Amino acid sequence: MDGHQPSLAQGNNPDAQAARPRRTWKVGQRAAQAALAFLLLAGGFLSLFPLGRALTRSALLLPALLSASAPAPLVVSGDSVRFKRLTLSSTIGPVFLDIYEPATPPPPIPSGREAIIDVPGAGDNRAVPQLVNLSQSLARSGVVVVNVGTPRLFNYQVSAQDGEAVVRAFEFIEHWPDVNPQRIGVLAFSVGDLLACVGAADPRIRDQVAFLAFLGGYVDVTSLLDTVARRSQDVNGQTQPWQPIPTDLYVLSRTVSSLFTPADQKLLQKAFPLTVNLAPPLRTQQQAQLSPEATAYYHLLEGDEPGSVDRNFAALSPPLKALLTQLSPLSVLGQIRAPIHLLHDRNDPSIPYTQALEFVAALARLHHRYDLATYSIFSHVQVESNLDLEQVLSDGTRLFEVLTSILLVGT
Amino acid sequence: MLILSFLWVALGLLIGALANAAKLRPAAWGRGGWLGMLGLGALIALSGGWLGTWVLGALFATATALWIAVLGVALLPRLITWCARLLRA
Repeated sequence: MDGHQPSLAQGNNPDAQAARPRRTWKVGQRAAQAALAFLLLAGGFLSLFPLGRALTRSALLLPALLSASAPAPLVVSGDSVRFKRLTLSSTIGPVFLDIYEPATPPPPIPSGREAIIDVPGAGDNRAVPQLVNLSQSLARSGVVVVNVGTPRLFNYQVSAQDGEAVVRAFEFIEHWPDVNPQRIGVLAFSVGDLLACVGAADPRIRDQVAFLAFLGGYVDVTSLLDTVARRSQDVNGQTQPWQPIPTDLYVLSRTVSSLFTPADQKLLQKAFPLTVNLAPPLRTQQQAQLSPEATAYYHLLEGDEPGSVDRNFAALSPPLKALLTQLSPLSVLGQIRAPIHLLHDRNDPSIPYTQALEFVAALARLHHRYDLATYSIFSHVQVESNLDLEQVLSDGTRLFEVLTSILLVGT
Repeated sequence: MLILSFLWVALGLLIGALANAAKLRPAAWGRGGWLGMLGLGALIALSGGWLGTWVLGALFATATALWIAVLGVALLPRLITWCARLLRA
């Protein structure tokens, strides 16, 4: 009888009874050896290899992003954070910088810290809790974060000229103590991607920008305006209803207002104020006071003539059309060298998801390095509260991948 | 850093216990050798954690403490025994 076959006689055999605990002991020994081998390999990979270190950082940062607060492991193992608020002078006026940096000196490996220039969207978002939490969490994980703002952006106006602010911030931070100039990337939210693109396309810094990452960004303001005017977007051949939020209309009207007469500006301001709910449309009498061009632009924003969108576009003056082109990141994409990470919520209420699809198509045409990650956990650029487990697992994984590629630059 | 130091000591004790279970303890250490293995694990993990903090930063110190502790409990007992034998000879 071989040893693999059960035997009744074995139950009475003292040798077999002694062999059983010995075998159990052997299994325990092997399991302990396997556990030690696993800890050795895991510990070595997560600390010695750049990818492992980026994964460690992402694993500590992801809960901070999803919960919009600083989780205990990051607080305990991360650096304490030092904050500085500076104003730089530039050709476009003052550039406001909020710098979040680790308070401790950098470790010898890797040499120098990664820096992220962060361009929040329209408005003064410097005190927005999720932006502050993101900046502090990144700084805790060893990254120097620079939040950039300009008077125009704070005033809800988007301008390609403000790309100079990104260049200025880049040139400033590359000489910042402990920052490695080869490890500076740009992260932009919403309409901030225009500034990031114009800055990253600038010959002064374009070869040094390590990466660009855009959350809820747009690529072409004309097609954005088309979606706003039709109140619908085409996703993979399917037309879906889409409603802009009042901030979109406010930004779109303010950004081009310099091309209108003061009377037009006043009426457009009245039609598209910065409110929580959409304002009522202008009365017929008020609409009659608008110039033909302002009338066309008004209807595009108001979305009350979805059947006349092409006609209203045709009524726009050449300078306004030229400005719309200038306001589109699309116009400078060909001059950007850095890889681009696109992140967009499928149900983005501010910048339609189709903008991300158009961005991808444009980058593919240019054979530019990019990746797109789509989510349902963001409300435009802010993480929604009360996420369910399925959302956390599916979207959290995608966010983890993007975080890892962004953080790999600095590890 | 105090909390992290406690964490590294706890991890070191766990690794020492695993090393005991994996029979990495030299027979020459006798009956109380298991305790020495726990102490060795804790000591090496603590040193590894601080070394990791200095070289790679606190964020990666725990991972460093892990692999250094495992390597330590696997190699140091043999080295100590070998040195002791060499000294006796």
